[in-house]
Order: sequence, then C-alpha cells, then structure tokens
Amino acid sequence: MFKRLAADRSSSITLRKRESPFHLRVWRAKWLYLALLVPVALLLIFEWLPAFSALYNSLYIWNGGKVHFYVGLEHYERMLSDRTFRVAIANLVGFVFFRVIMQTVLPFFAAEMIINLRSERWGYWWKIIFVFPMVVPTILNYLIWRFIYNPQVGLLNEGLELIGLGEYTHAWLGDPNTVMWALAFVRFPWLPTLQFLIILGGLQTIPQEVHESAAIDGAGFWRRLFYIDIPMTRRQITLAMILTMLFMTQRFDLFLVMTDGGPGYSSMVPALQLYQSAFHFLEFGYASAIGVVLFVAMLALTVINLRVSAGATSE
Amino acid sequence: MTMFNRKGLRLGNRDLPFQLVLIAFGIVTFFPLVLVVITSFKSNTQFYHNFWLPELPLHTGNYTSAFRIIWRYIVNSVLYSGSTICLIAIIASVAGYVFARFRFPFKTVLFLGFITLIMVPGVLTLAPRFVLVRDLGMVNTPFALISVWVSGGLVLSTWLMRSYFESLPQELFDAAYVDGAAEWQVFVYVSAPLARPMIATVAMTTLIGTWNDLIWPLVTITDKDKMPLAMGLMQFSSDFETDWGTLFAGYVISSIPLLCVFAVAMRQFISGLTSGSIKA
Repeated sequence: MFKRLAADRSSSITLRKRESPFHLRVWRAKWLYLALLVPVALLLIFEWLPAFSALYNSLYIWNGGKVHFYVGLEHYERMLSDRTFRVAIANLVGFVFFRVIMQTVLPFFAAEMIINLRSERWGYWWKIIFVFPMVVPTILNYLIWRFIYNPQVGLLNEGLELIGLGEYTHAWLGDPNTVMWALAFVRFPWLPTLQFLIILGGLQTIPQEVHESAAIDGAGFWRRLFYIDIPMTRRQITLAMILTMLFMTQRFDLFLVMTDGGPGYSSMVPALQLYQSAFHFLEFGYASAIGVVLFVAMLALTVINLRVSAGATSE
Repeated sequence: MTMFNRKGLRLGNRDLPFQLVLIAFGIVTFFPLVLVVITSFKSNTQFYHNFWLPELPLHTGNYTSAFRIIWRYIVNSVLYSGSTICLIAIIASVAGYVFARFRFPFKTVLFLGFITLIMVPGVLTLAPRFVLVRDLGMVNTPFALISVWVSGGLVLSTWLMRSYFESLPQELFDAAYVDGAAEWQVFVYVSAPLARPMIATVAMTTLIGTWNDLIWPLVTITDKDKMPLAMGLMQFSSDFETDWGTLFAGYVISSIPLLCVFAVAMRQFISGLTSGSIKA
C-alpha cells in the first residue's frame, strides 16, 4: 500500500519520498505520463501546432500549399491600408457596442421581472421558457431571421403591411444602409441564454432580507433597482458584457449565413474576412495575420473574463 | 425566517404587473417559432394566400419529404457529437484525475499546456488547422471533425474535471486504498462514478458546442451525405429555398433532438451551458 504514488495532498497513510532523485521520480510516474499521452498529443497537434503556425505564417505569403515565402510584416502593413479591413473593423466595433448593450439590458430586464415575482414556481418556469430557444440549432436562428427579413414574404415586411405601414417595407439585408442594423437585431426578442442565466443567477443570490429591509425603508421598484439590484450584480453584468464581446468578435457564422459580408463589403467583419481570405482567395498568410490581430485584441478580454467569471458564476 | 414571510407581506396580487410584462415577453419570444410551426403545415399556395393563420387542410406531407432529407444529417450529427462526447468524457476525466490527485515532474508545465489554450480563440487557428487536417488526409472524413472537436473540448473539460476531483475529500480515496484497491480501481469504481454530475456537465457543453458548430464542417466536409446537421441545414435551406412548407418542416424536425435532451436533462443542460462561459 505504501509503495503507491504519493497523492497530491498529504494524508495520513501516503508517504512521500521527497528526496528521491529526479530520474527516479520521472520513472515512477511513467503510468501517469502514459495516461496523459493521448490528450497531450492531441493538444500539441491540433491546438498548439496551428496556433504557432498562425503566428509564424502571418509573416509569409502562403497559399496553403507550395507557395510560401517570407514577407515580414507586410500583411500587417497591408491591413492598415486595406479598405475592406477598415470597413470590417468599423462594422465590428459598432456591432459589438450595440450587441453588448442589447444583450445586457434585455436579459437583465427579464431577470428583474422574474425575481420580482413572489411565486418561486413561476420564476422557475419563466426561466425555463426563456432558455427554451436554446434548443433551436444556432444556424436555424439565422435561417429564421433570414426569413423574417425576406423582402418578398418576410415576417417583418408582412407585419408592417398588416398594421398599415406598408410604405416602410424594405429589403433589409439587401440595402447597405440597413444591413448592419438588421444583423444587430437578429435573435432580437430571444434572450442570450448564457448572459440571461448569469444575470438571473446573480440577482437570485441577493438575500431576501436585503429586499425586505429595503421595502420596509420604503424603497420602491426603481430605487431598489438602482441602489440594490444593479450594484449587487455588478460582477455578473460585467461578465455578461465581456462574454458578448468575446462571442461577437470571433463568431462570424451569423454574417456568413445571413449576408456573406454583402452587399459589397457593407456587412464585413474581420473574422469573416479572415475566412474569405483563406478559403476563397487562398491567402493563408494574410488570414493568419488577421487571426493574430484578433487574438491580441481578445487576449485582454479573456484575461478579464477569467478573473470575473471565477467569482460570478457560482456552480 | 423573519416575521415578514412571503404570505405576510402579500397585498393584493403584487405579481400581476410583472406577470403581464413577462407574458408579453414570452409571446414575442415564441411568436416566430409558432409561425414556423404553422407554416410547416401549409402548401406554398396557402402560405402566399394566408401568411399568418393556420389553414386546413394540413399538409403533413411536408414533414415526410423534409424528413427524407434531414434524417441523414441528424444521424451524422448524433454519430459525430456522440463519439466526441464519449472520447472527451474518458480522456478528460483520466487527465483531470491525474492532474488533481498526483504530484509528478513536469506536472505544472503540462497543465499550463492545457489551460493556456483557453486564451487561444478558434478564429486564430482556423486557417492553419485546416491546412494541417488536409495534409493529414482527413478532409471529408468524420475524423476531421472528431479529432478537432475532441482536442478543442479537452481544454475546458480537463480543467472542469480536475477542479471536481480536487474537491473530493481525501478520506474517500484513503478508504479505498485501505481496502486494497489499486489506483486504476480507485479511479474506475470510486472517482469516476462520483464525478458523474461533472461528466454530465462536460457532455452537455460538448454537445451544444459540436451540435451548433457550422464553420469547421463547412471547411472540412464536402459530401452531402457526410454533413452534420448545422451544415446540412444550410444545404437544405438552399435546396428548398422557395418551398416554404417543406423548409419549415425541416426546421421543426431538426430542433427535436436538442429538445428531447433539454426535456430529459434540463439541469445538466443549463449547467453545461454556463460552464461554457469560461472558454467563450
């Protein structure tokens, strides 16, 4: 029994031989290394190798095959003067700004309504109801909203006709002036599930006594909202905002499915440009450089996310 | 509790305004879904003629013709996501257990090799990873999807499993050692069964992630009969672009699998969802 490998935390019955020489400790851990062989190999091949390949190849002209030569920082310089990329960055900033507000205010509002209910059973059911759209595959969200914006038989235009606003019907995704707004409202009344659950979880951990004593002191709904509920869920709100930023910066399936960046470049975002550079134009070097820029931008956000989420999601 | 318990403070029906707001919210949430279901029973003539309301006769034939296409994609997705989940559950629990319970040389380095990947977004690795998978000859095979999904999912899953195993009390393992269990027996008969809730969470995170992944299949799979559901739906929507009834019947059918999972394992579904916040 005592020959057993020392467990990590010291206990009464496992003995740890601290002084044994290094090679002996490595040898004794051979089964542990074997157990880690598969995951380590997988991560090296499919995660670390592509990550370094992206950093490295961002300095090369590369078609993904034989054409491969060093150009230094040329791709990064090109980005500065690339009009498409500039439009893409502007679109992304506006889009993220809008989505962050919408995807924080909307779930907060719904969660606030729910915790104001006395009936806990109803609160539970409302939570389930608002999480429900999650079962619809993500791509269907986009396809359904493509139908909503359809210029001929779309839900939005039909609805406008129905209430007598027929002159406002529009090719929402086909007009450069409306396309980004249309995309910003995709999934609109549906709550962002993750953000909603996080904010609701935060609101539900506010002790009942706090609300009760506020009520005794005569605080109404609005006072309670601004002096108790919002300050006490600051961490959850921050986390929801960071998550929205992270999602929106790297996910481009929405843009790919709804408009493919069009019309023209009017709904281009950097991640979609990366995709198109690599898979339409075989510019893997340029695509890698865009990836590196996005990575650097997201790195800070991720570090903050890890800090905040450590405290905000209570499991 | 205090004297101001729930019943004590109740004045009239205080819930009513909040309930009304929530009901309005619920209606706008479900409205598009209901319209999709209604339309899925219509022929095109009925749809153009009467956009909003259900109309007889119900064209259930839409479902038959949609199912004839969609079932293939659903089966593919179940196979791909299912094998990914099994592999991740096994590999991540073993790795998490090793990291949680043992001290050995290079442990810190190896573990950092796992968790620093949380900071690497998929968009950075997309293009070079495609070249790699292509050069390995895995394009247009399930291995392209499964290998990348497994390694991507391992990052977070291993971390979750490690935290879980660390939280188990040492006495539990001591008891098993005293009874003469070998290390692998402790893992198989004590630790793994105890970790079932965390394994369920990991499985759900993986399921939601792989089921909805569109981009990676889009670049690696070309054959129609190998496509997973997300990609298949994109194909389906362009094949049936103006056949609204069949199109929406296909949409309804393809929502059923996750709906079933949600109905059976709601709590795990939600915990799997929230644990995804660590690697976004």
